[in-house]
Order: sequence, then structure tokens, then C-alpha cells
Amino acid sequence: MNPQILVDGLIAGAMYGLGAIGVTLTYSILRFANFAHSELLTFGAYAALALSSALGVLSAGLLAPLGPFSFGWSLPLAAITAMALTGLLALAVDAVLFGRLRARRSSIIVMVMASFGAALTLRSLLEFVFTSKPAYFTRELQIALPLGGGMRATPDQLLALVLAIALVVAVHLLLTRTAIGRSMRAVSENQALAGVVGVDVRRVIRVVWLLGAVLACVAGIMAGLLVQLRPYMGFDLLLPLFAAAILGGIGSVPGAMLAGLIVGLAEAGTVQLVGAEWRTAVAFIILVLVLLLRPHGLFGRPQA
Amino acid sequence: MNAAAPPPALATRALVAGYERDLPIVRGVDFEVAPAELVVILGPNGAGKSTLVKAIAGLVPIHAGQAFLAGADITASPVQEKVRHGLAFVPQTENIFATLTIQDNLQLAADILPRSEQAARIAEVYELFPDLAARRSACAGNLSGGQRQMLAVARALIVKPSVLILDEPSAGLSPKIVGEVFSRLKEINTAGITIVLVEQNVKAALAIAHRAVILVEGELRHDGPAATLADDPIVAQLYLGATPAGREEQR
Ligand SMILES: Nc1ncnc2c1ncn2[C@@H]1O[C@H](COP(=O)(O)OP(=O)(O)OP(=O)(O)O)[C@@H](O)[C@H]1O
Ligand SMILES: [Mg+2]
Repeated sequence: MNPQILVDGLIAGAMYGLGAIGVTLTYSILRFANFAHSELLTFGAYAALALSSALGVLSAGLLAPLGPFSFGWSLPLAAITAMALTGLLALAVDAVLFGRLRARRSSIIVMVMASFGAALTLRSLLEFVFTSKPAYFTRELQIALPLGGGMRATPDQLLALVLAIALVVAVHLLLTRTAIGRSMRAVSENQALAGVVGVDVRRVIRVVWLLGAVLACVAGIMAGLLVQLRPYMGFDLLLPLFAAAILGGIGSVPGAMLAGLIVGLAEAGTVQLVGAEWRTAVAFIILVLVLLLRPHGLFGRPQA
Repeated sequence: MNAAAPPPALATRALVAGYERDLPIVRGVDFEVAPAELVVILGPNGAGKSTLVKAIAGLVPIHAGQAFLAGADITASPVQEKVRHGLAFVPQTENIFATLTIQDNLQLAADILPRSEQAARIAEVYELFPDLAARRSACAGNLSGGQRQMLAVARALIVKPSVLILDEPSAGLSPKIVGEVFSRLKEINTAGITIVLVEQNVKAALAIAHRAVILVEGELRHDGPAATLADDPIVAQLYLGATPAGREEQR
């Protein structure tokens, strides 16, 4: 077995994990599967691309590669703005769509269908603005560094992995050690009781959208940097994201990341051992197996 | 209302409330509780007792009428604001966060207090409930029924409420544990906290209450001292329906 699949799997998996955290948090607090989450990922990536290109036009120096990486200052600067924009987009979609449906106490299936509609709309808009041609953050070529044991990774890939792990730890600490995290866990268990205890549920919902959107944006930028940007990049990630969120257990942040890594490794292993054409089936098979054998996932709580 | 008499700790005026707009469950209730009073709300199953207290707490829409806390109109204030005004509510079911630890249940309630006071207040409440203090890092879902009710009451006391409303705290508890919970409530009331208690356990509730009201089909049908009601077999037969023992069997 080629040890390189370990590196490839972990890097793809870290991306899945970041996206899956957003899915798992919105699912556990808003109680519906948001199929538009993957479009937040795509939007974040394209927003960063547009801003980064604009910064490059303003000052070419910002495009000069930073140390061993393939990108210049323009990308991290653009990324921060893109995170804010993606957060605003999520809040806007909630204000015009999901929030209204919640106020009418719409059923879960209506929310899910609305999220499909939102996903299609966003994806078409992005395709219209940016065309379906693949785009890239940079054209710099990177040399993969040997990691020992026959494994290689580019500096960009290693950065993505470290950043993903750091973000998971940060979100986990936010949930377990802070007042807003406590409120989020309370709302996820019992929204009415949370209100009685004094939690402003609407504020918690806004925080969840922001958090999920920011993580989606980072995952989208990673996907764009390590692979390429396409209007369908988020859509193609939908199945691995949901497989990871459900395998990890709805509501569990460490679970989502661990499961993301598992899905990534399983995909890389399948490509190596079975064939590349089986890659997309892996997430589906994992999803089905988890739903059949352990629907609450690795770290979720069983539904009563 | 003259300056000498304090306003009631809690009051409703012609309160109409219900889950759907065209289906009032509580139908014009006028209800007053004096400061430091312990009032029990009795009534048959489905009378609207839970709906009434949930409407006061902000969990069920109020269609008409008003609710007042110490004279201030709280009819329109959202649920999370009421606790900040001094109204604590312990729901009938699912009244603790089972996935959180005991400590986190209390800390969550304390989060609305100034940061500098939170730890001291939680410590004070642990002193009142040593059983909970001993298991503070246990998951609340692992507690027994009686301990859960104690945690729900402890959680409600964190904010030093002026009014504490409890919806059937004795439901599902053994008679011995009911006795413990009720003597706790009496102590809390003696310390000056106004208590409104919804109960089906008529005997135990009347034993600690000052006054009792009976709700039937969303309307108040009786209001009087608890002592006289306890001795009134006709009222009991008419409005209370099942005896406490009969209710245990229904569950
Ligand atoms: N969530 C709800 N949605 C719609 N109707 C409800 C809801 N909860 C209760 N009801 C209805 O409201 C009426 C009053 O119910 P409520 O729970 O207030 O009665 P209760 O006096 O508390 O009874 P119990 O002694 O059984 O607790 C009942 O007809 C019930 O069917
Ligand atoms: Mg009830």
C-alpha cells in the first residue's frame, strides 16, 4: 500500500471536517439538514478569489509568494474579508428564508426543500458571475516536500491541515468553555427550556450561522487552493460533508472532524486499492452504513 | 392601587392564551398572588394549568389580557427577558438539560448574572442542595427523578427570583421524595420567595399552600384559603377528579 494515501486522505478529510462542523452545528440547533451549506463553501472560495485578484490589481506586491507557500498576502487578507461576507450571506439567507419559515413553524421537510432551493439559486448565481470554467488562486507551482516514509506534501497542504486542526480545537473550546458555547449546547437540547433559563435563542442561531459560514469559507478556500475553484465544488462535497457530519454524530464538533478524516482516508484508500471511479461511492456507502448500523454516529446521543 | 399596598407579586388580567390563535385554552383568567404567598393551582387533566403558567412564562402566545410582575407589565416581554425581571419557571417535563453536567445547568442559569457574582451564587445554591454539589460534574441525565426536580429548582433559584412558578414538581416521584421536594419549596417560600405551584397531588400541595385556586376548562372556578379547601369534599369531588392515587395509575 502506498503511504501517500495517508497524506492525501488526511488533507481531503480535514477539508471535509471543517465543512461538516457547519453542517452538524446547524443541524443540531436549527434541526434541519441544510443542503445549502455546501454553497456557502463555494461562495466563500469565490469571494476570496475575487477579493484576492482585486488586491493583486491594486498592488502586485501582494501577489508575491509568502515564504514556501504558493500565494501572497493577498490571499489571507482576502480570506478574512471573504469569511465576513460568507457570514453575512448566511445571515441574509436566514433572514429572508429560513427565519421566516421558522416563524411560521414550518415542518422540517419544508426547511430542507427550502435549503435545496437556496442551494440551486446560489450555485446558479455563482456560475453566472464566475462562469463554469475552473479558476485558481495562484498559478505558482509547488514542490512537494518529502515527509519521510515515502510520503510527500506541499507546504500549502501542510498549512491547510494545521489550520483545520487549529480551527477544530478553537470551535471545540468555544462550545465547551464559554457562555455562548453553553447556550448553544442548551439550545441544541431544548430550545424552549433554554429560553426559560434566559438564553436569547435568536442570538444563538445567528452565532451558529456565522460560525458555520466562516468554517465553510475556510474549507472552500482550502479546496480552491489545493484543487481548483468551480461553481460545483461545494455541490461535489455535499455527500462527504453529510457523511462526515452523520458519522461523527450530529452536534459533535470533534466527531465531525474525526469523521471527516475517516471519510477522506477511506476515499484515498479506495482510489488506491479499488480504482478512482469508486471515489464518489465511498461517502455514500459510509452514510448508508452509519444510518443503518449506528444512526447517532460516533459521538452523537441516541434519540429517545 | 394606593402607595401603601405593594402591588401583587404576580397578576393576570383577563388573560386569554393558547397554542393556536383561534383556539383559546386559557379563557379570561384574573389571578393575583401577594408577595411571599404560596398559591397552588389545581384542576383536572387538560384544564389548561400548564398552558396558563407557560403563557405567563412566555412559552405560549397570549391572545388577550395582560400579565404583571410586581406591577410591571410583562405581557409582551420575550421568554428570555422574564427571568431577568425575576420570574423563574420550572416546566412540567424536560425541565433540566440532560446532556449538560449539573454544574453547566447551574452555570447556564448564572450566565445572565454579572460575571463577578456567578461563582458565589452557584456556591450558595450548592449549599442549599448538597446532593447536587457532590455530583457537580455528573451528567444531569443520570440523575434520579427526585434529584432532577431538585436540580430544576436549584437552577431556577440561581437568579434569586422574586416569583417561582413550578408545574407539577411531584409528577412521577415517590411519596417520600414528594415530601422532600415540598418541604424544600416551603423553606424557599418562608425565605420570602413567592411561589405558584401547579399540582395534581392535592393533599401534599394543600398542606404547604396558603391559598388554592381551581382551574376548569380554562377558567378560574374557585379561589380560597388552602385550609378550607382541604376539608371541602364537594369541591374536591367536583373539580379535582382523580385522587392522587388514581393519577399514579394513569401514568
Ligand atoms: N403543545 C400543545 N399544542 C396544542 N395544544 C396543546 C399543547 N399542549 C397542550 N395542549 C392542549 O391544551 C389543553 C390544556 O392542556 P394543559 O397541558 O394546559 O393542561 P393541564 O391542566 O396542564 O393538564 P395536566 O394535568 O395533564 O398537565 C389540552 O386540551 C391540550 O390538549
Ligand atoms: Mg400540565
